[in-house]
Amino acid sequence: MSRFLELALEPSAWQRVRSWPLHRTVATVFGTGMATLVVGVYVASVLKVLPHDPDAMDLGAVNALPSAAHLLGTDFVGRDLLSRIMVGTQAFFLPGLLSVSVSLLFGSLLGVLAGFWPARFDTVVGLLLQLLESLPKLVLILLVVALFRADIYLILLVVGITNIPAAAELLRARIAVLRRKSYIEAAIALGLPPSRVILKHVLWLHGRGLVLIQATIGMGEAILIETSLSYLGFGVQEPTPSWGNMVALGKDYFFRGELWLSTVPAGAILLTVLGFHLLGDALLERLEASGA
Amino acid sequence: MSSAPGREGVGEALLEVRDLRTFFYRRGRFGVVRPDDYVAAVDGVSFSVPEGESLGIVGESGCGKTTLGRTVLRVIPATSGSVRYRGEEILGLGGAALRAKRRDMQMIFQDLDAALNPKMRVGDLLAEALTLHKKLSSPEVRRHSEELLGLVKLKPAKLSAFPPELSGGEKRRVSIARVLAVEPRLIVADEPLSALDVSIAAQVANLMRDLQESLRLTYLFISHDLRMVELIAHRVMVMYLGRVVEMAPARLLADGAAHPYSRLLWAAVDPYTGLRMAQAPASGRWEISEGDRPKAGCRFRDRCPVYHAKGEPAICSDAETEPKLTEVSPGHLVACHFPQGRTETTAPA
Amino acid sequence: MAEATPARPRPARREGEGAVLFVRDLRTYFYLPTRGRFLRAVDGVRLAVKEGETLVLVGESGSGKSVTVLSVMGLVTAAPGVVSGRIWYRPPGHEDPVNLLEGLERFARFTPGPPVGVEKDNRRWLKWHEAGMRERRGRDFAMIFQNPRNALHPYFTVGQQVSEVIRRRSPELSAGEAVAEARAWLAKVHLDAPAKRLGDYPHNLSGGMCQRVMIAMALAARPAVLIADEPTTGLDATIQSRVLDLMEEMKATLKTTTIVITHDMGVARRLADRVAVMYAGRVVEEGPAPDVLNGRYEIKHPYTHGLLYAIPSAGDIREKRRLGTIEGDVPDLSRLPAGCQFADRCGMKPPGREHLCDAEEPGLDAPVPGHRVRCWRHLRHPSEGGAAP
Repeated sequence: MSRFLELALEPSAWQRVRSWPLHRTVATVFGTGMATLVVGVYVASVLKVLPHDPDAMDLGAVNALPSAAHLLGTDFVGRDLLSRIMVGTQAFFLPGLLSVSVSLLFGSLLGVLAGFWPARFDTVVGLLLQLLESLPKLVLILLVVALFRADIYLILLVVGITNIPAAAELLRARIAVLRRKSYIEAAIALGLPPSRVILKHVLWLHGRGLVLIQATIGMGEAILIETSLSYLGFGVQEPTPSWGNMVALGKDYFFRGELWLSTVPAGAILLTVLGFHLLGDALLERLEASGA
Repeated sequence: MSSAPGREGVGEALLEVRDLRTFFYRRGRFGVVRPDDYVAAVDGVSFSVPEGESLGIVGESGCGKTTLGRTVLRVIPATSGSVRYRGEEILGLGGAALRAKRRDMQMIFQDLDAALNPKMRVGDLLAEALTLHKKLSSPEVRRHSEELLGLVKLKPAKLSAFPPELSGGEKRRVSIARVLAVEPRLIVADEPLSALDVSIAAQVANLMRDLQESLRLTYLFISHDLRMVELIAHRVMVMYLGRVVEMAPARLLADGAAHPYSRLLWAAVDPYTGLRMAQAPASGRWEISEGDRPKAGCRFRDRCPVYHAKGEPAICSDAETEPKLTEVSPGHLVACHFPQGRTETTAPA
Repeated sequence: MAEATPARPRPARREGEGAVLFVRDLRTYFYLPTRGRFLRAVDGVRLAVKEGETLVLVGESGSGKSVTVLSVMGLVTAAPGVVSGRIWYRPPGHEDPVNLLEGLERFARFTPGPPVGVEKDNRRWLKWHEAGMRERRGRDFAMIFQNPRNALHPYFTVGQQVSEVIRRRSPELSAGEAVAEARAWLAKVHLDAPAKRLGDYPHNLSGGMCQRVMIAMALAARPAVLIADEPTTGLDATIQSRVLDLMEEMKATLKTTTIVITHDMGVARRLADRVAVMYAGRVVEEGPAPDVLNGRYEIKHPYTHGLLYAIPSAGDIREKRRLGTIEGDVPDLSRLPAGCQFADRCGMKPPGREHLCDAEEPGLDAPVPGHRVRCWRHLRHPSEGGAAP
């Protein structure tokens, strides 16, 4: 039985949030929380605000479980796991941003071109996008590693390029629909310069939701790629911490019954990627609900 | 001879259109255009509109009236012909020059929802239009916005509303206000009353007439609602399949329409007495699609009751003698070989 | 207590006597969570249609006319949806009516308040209601929608869609017989070259043609009640006229009980036996067509009066007179006032008794048999003794 009651006053923001379905609340809270946490942790680690020196070895407390001194325990040479986890964000944060920026910037550009002037650009852009889409990500990454070096920035740049079609396609489709709606036409007929119409009316007002969602997915993907590469030994090398190489290091101890060393970074990866994805989901739902 | 047909000499010609053609070509790959594959939405239309006048443009769907309005305002590109605003050719203009001209020539779009960006508040929409050509301070923008809303009889509170929150009539009024914000001289109104309820349409119709008087606006009033057109317009132009078939003062068209098509249109629409289609075309077909357009001669003959009544005279089907707009009485032009005479009044006052 | 109190509910037999469809006190609400209020789309509607009669529901946007018939058809799924009321339907040849909303009280509880409260298990209600309505739709009730091109299935040909209706109605027919009958129906609705049309898809046809196909489909089902929602809106004037011609012809030959929804008085004039005018989710005037649409000024509702005068007559047009309007806008259906819903726009309040209009909403009563009005101008309030105003 659902209960509906008419209220005398408009529901406050808090009441509106309370009326959300459970999954939406969970997704939004968790997603936003995770994203904020990651950003905060990254900034802290850059400013070197850490509980311990991530490289300081304490051979007296090796493979220790969480305690007051070491909130997440220590690794096999006694380094504080929490601090290493925090520094580990540096491995993917900026490269991830780079990847996302590249895919969104060029994706938007191509999407706008193909969406606004389909007569001229649709075929050309379409071909270009198909080309990019058919590039196998994994092979490309390994190719880059082989030809150049295991530079995570380079790798994620390449990943960003392969992600261009996703953003471009979404935007192109959106714009194609919007173009038929005469408020774009009306804006031009009013005398607004096309640049303003594109930037403000289309991209900002209508595209930002899509762009944000692409950004969250892109970030999640960047984390997975970076950590996978480090796990395999191609990415960040010891002693610099990366969640991936931490898992790799800990795997020998895993089978010896000391689960903690691998579980902590693995858990971090899981929670962070999940958080970004849930955030994207919540944004998507919000976007659809508002009749985007 | 030097002036386009229909010029009455009341005020200067604000708008002069000559031989306008808008063809829609189907594009192949890579945007290549095939020269034979096109739809002639507007196929040689000429008219002129003096300042302060309302020219009504009527016809069924597919006659090209909407395309005509959009072409005149450069919303879509013309294929050939000339459009002069205050004597200046505007079809060739581009960029900043065109945007400057747009200030004078505005359009009220048919679709209520699509003319207003649903993500922008009414106040922002108006502010954007107000500051397009003038520099205004924030309080001035606010004041002008409220004035504009007052002009269209909306309360200032509506400034903070989003379009989806507005009713049909309110949306229509906001789009009128937005168009007025740039202070145009010519307004092309594309079916401004169509999507509105009867009582709201009446309000908007009154509003448009009042605005025309107080601001000395010139209208191109495109509609399929013949009663409203007759009420609001000074002259009416009837279009069929991209061409003008008749042009006359509004009052003449009710009971003095000469072209058989105009008479068909008028006969179909009296809600007071619910008159039936007085003259059913012999072919029994209700509508014609673009593909059925006859290749030569009068385009209307397949549906023309007079053509059928006269035993399908050759003059109507001959390519050489395609009917041209000719004056049958001062200010009244018809494109027909057998223009009809006056009828008795069909409905009581 | 009298022993002779009959077991069956009295009101249905007394009020809706002889009616094929009798809607009583229907309420359909939609909840707006962001505002914490109900959108009262249908707020106590009473309608009756007799066999063979054509009832036209006239109203502007927001009047509730579409939601009313959607509620009758069981097509309202948003929450809470139908919250109270009875829809008595008497199938042809039967004596006793059935309540289509049977069992609603089990799933919904409505408190008029203030504040208005609804408790409803919508999911279960829909499942329950659907079981009953599924059979009736397309058989007892057939509906024609606005925007004909959108209402037809884009992937099936016209012939397939009409034949499907025929075969559902008469499963004993063979495929060939069904197609033959489909062709006959297409000819009946004056479609050109009906045999060729059978193979056409909706996108091949114009709006007017699609509308005729829909009419053919609806009539081929030989329904007990035909419901047409804005059948002429969106079509060109000449086509509208033709569609109305067709509907008049069908009315004369088939004599189907029909409900037509429109905002166009011209449509009402052409087709209606009876007219019901709706405003703000309720019926404000209801009676024989000639009375409601023209004369009987003595019992006209001010809104109907306003609607009629908003349309220019030939004389108005010739003289280029200003149009009569109803000032103001339709009310916010989530914030309806206490008294008469039309009070803020009414220019014809009864002199000396205006206080009634803001204080209390009048009921839909009949000062003259057969013609009901919801207006204090024509009705007497219980507090007032003596003769009718």
